[in-house]
Amino acid sequence: MAEERPGTWYGFGFCGFGQALGSGRGRQVHSPEPLWTPVAGVDICRVSASWSYTACLTRGGRLELSGSASGAVGGCRDAWASEALLVLLRSRPGPGAELQGWAPGSVLRGEPLWSQTVESEAAGEHGSGGEAGARALPLLPSASAYVSPRPPFCRPLAPGFRARRLELGAEHVLLLDAAGQVFSWGGGRHGQLGHGTLEAELEPRLLEALQGLPMAEVAAGGWHSVCVSETGDLYVWGWNESGQLALPTRGLAEDGKPVGGEATGLPEEGSEVRAAGGEDGAPTPFIAVQPFPALLDLPQGSEAAHASCGSRHTAVVTRKYGQLGHKDTTSLDHPCRVEFFRDKQLPVEAVTCGPWNTYVYTVERRKS
Amino acid sequence: MAEGTRCSGDPLVGAGALGEALRALLPHTKEGLRLDLNEKVERSVVMLLQEAAELFYGGRRTECLQRSEVILDYSWEKLNTGAWRDVDKDWRRVYTFGCLLKAVCLCEAPGDATTVAAALRVCDMGLLMGAAILGNILIRVAAVLQMHLLSGKRPAQGPTLEQPNPKVSGLEYIQEIAGCRTVPVEIGSRYTDEEWSQTLMTVNEFISKYIINEPKDVGYLAQHQLFDQIPELKQDISIPDYCCLGNGEEEEITINAWFGPQGTVSPLHQDPQQNFLAQAEWFHKLEHSSSQADQSKEAVQWRGSELGFWNQTGMNTSSVMINSVIGRKYIRLYSPQESEALYPHDSHLLHNTSQVDVENPNLEQFPKFAEAPFLSCILSPGEILFIPVKYWHYVRALDLSFSVSFWWS
Repeated sequence: MAEERPGTWYGFGFCGFGQALGSGRGRQVHSPEPLWTPVAGVDICRVSASWSYTACLTRGGRLELSGSASGAVGGCRDAWASEALLVLLRSRPGPGAELQGWAPGSVLRGEPLWSQTVESEAAGEHGSGGEAGARALPLLPSASAYVSPRPPFCRPLAPGFRARRLELGAEHVLLLDAAGQVFSWGGGRHGQLGHGTLEAELEPRLLEALQGLPMAEVAAGGWHSVCVSETGDLYVWGWNESGQLALPTRGLAEDGKPVGGEATGLPEEGSEVRAAGGEDGAPTPFIAVQPFPALLDLPQGSEAAHASCGSRHTAVVTRKYGQLGHKDTTSLDHPCRVEFFRDKQLPVEAVTCGPWNTYVYTVERRKS
Repeated sequence: MAEGTRCSGDPLVGAGALGEALRALLPHTKEGLRLDLNEKVERSVVMLLQEAAELFYGGRRTECLQRSEVILDYSWEKLNTGAWRDVDKDWRRVYTFGCLLKAVCLCEAPGDATTVAAALRVCDMGLLMGAAILGNILIRVAAVLQMHLLSGKRPAQGPTLEQPNPKVSGLEYIQEIAGCRTVPVEIGSRYTDEEWSQTLMTVNEFISKYIINEPKDVGYLAQHQLFDQIPELKQDISIPDYCCLGNGEEEEITINAWFGPQGTVSPLHQDPQQNFLAQAEWFHKLEHSSSQADQSKEAVQWRGSELGFWNQTGMNTSSVMINSVIGRKYIRLYSPQESEALYPHDSHLLHNTSQVDVENPNLEQFPKFAEAPFLSCILSPGEILFIPVKYWHYVRALDLSFSVSFWWS
């Protein structure tokens, strides 16, 4: 991988609790704003956003919290934020690291809810296709277990897995192994498992539809899933009620006005591809639930590099110009580039989504 | 299209009075709006609820409205996580709280009929998906909003000399009491079909689209606790005395309405509870002759029932109502002992449902079905059918039909 050049994080979306999102003013940021950090020049290497607070981790191991939880703590190697639990991986004297689970409101005050020593990380922080390295939470560095916001907080994986990446949705889990195969388990009522049914799976099950296609990344949203292949193809499946799969959704067509993030419509259960009759009787295919992975074409035939999912939105970084295809507060059911980064000629390298916002990492172009 | 709606932009008469009437329903201080919530509701949400209440009592309507949207969206996500029966009740109460504030904030300032209709829709969402708070305050808010929407409409027609058209008058009654209310509707011939779905619409829209104007699809207002949502309709039904023979309290009886055009089908299935299915019979309030005679109608007996307590007395399903809707249902019943011959679905979602299309069975695929014994009847207005627990039943509407079912233990 290329050497890491210092870059800038931007954020946009919901910041109603005052979490770090640009200026932090107002309740929502509609256009990307640079993340504000208390100390200038710090290099944020990971952002993990929960609904009401955001955790930013710097390369120096300092964790900054903003929003409904605030404060800072040092000696952190990794962090993972959820409403019920903030999970930290902290350095300790000697080998290994300490995994701590904190109630978000009381970080740094008192004791964590639980803590345990974990094995040291597998070799290769930046190895491509290697084992889980640094900053892989909720997957533990040993890749043999993962953390969950609900008890039991630490859940082992079956010994056969060589897990590279693991993501949690509202009720499902996605796992990417060293060979690029994708597994899923948990609730499946919205097709988010990708096995073609609405049934739950108690144990990890291989996504047969993607077998033989090595994947580079997986991302889990509230009730949808996304993965990016090593050749830059993007696959989406799960619930599409707000258009988060970038497939046509009935809710947006019928309302005629933007649903935004404030949909109060009842979800359509059990329907897959439905032909909906328009006034003139011509059928339009709307997709409420996509239970199998579907290949998604990005605009201009772009290839995908990275993907991240919020509760009901999806953000994808493409290879060529760093465009983002995503939904802002005006819900869209087709990919739409975030023009901000193009206008400023900022190549986008990484993206991470909180439930209702998006954080983007850009690197300045080298001046020739 | 909804009756009584004015053009958008015209302020409703006395719209300032609406805001006052709504405020009068709420507690006087923000402390009254406090909800006691368990630890499942995250601290951040509790903070948000308090903030929203403060904004409301501080008169900051726009900001309160914005917070209530956030509350609604977040709790909506919780309501959609996991199986419905596992959703913590407190999340549903949070959702109702959001609906309450949003509906009241929308109507604080004088607005037009569209705004009031939107607020009523929000109330209905809270009633459909939420759980009661503050003594089920949403019912009262909905009643005030509905009254406001309908005020100025022409009054209901008085008695006429000629016999009213039963079908139309019954519909008029429903539209008057519940027309602007939002209800869940099932679209599609049967819930086992792939194209089947559920959606929300007002009762007026349902009647217009799926009952009267030559509907293209089958729409069915099915298995909905309509009388909990719109208690005004409850005045016109009475709980069969037979339901008191169970162990549960009267509050534990689930009353569902089933309202739809000719041809709606409930595929063969079984319920975990005892079931009474009653065809509504409604009478014109001001007519005397027909109602007396019909009150002597007996309930349809379940032949061979081991209970054997059926008699005519004490059964008064036909309380005095407005106008008559004639609706008959063809019903077929199979004993639970025949379950194997009914080929229930494998999947978890549909394991209480048979795979067989009862009136057009595929006997190659389901050979045992042909030999399974059954009982059938046509349930007419004023009649009640008792369906013992776990008995398989299939229902098809022969006419435009309104039925009420009572589930009890």
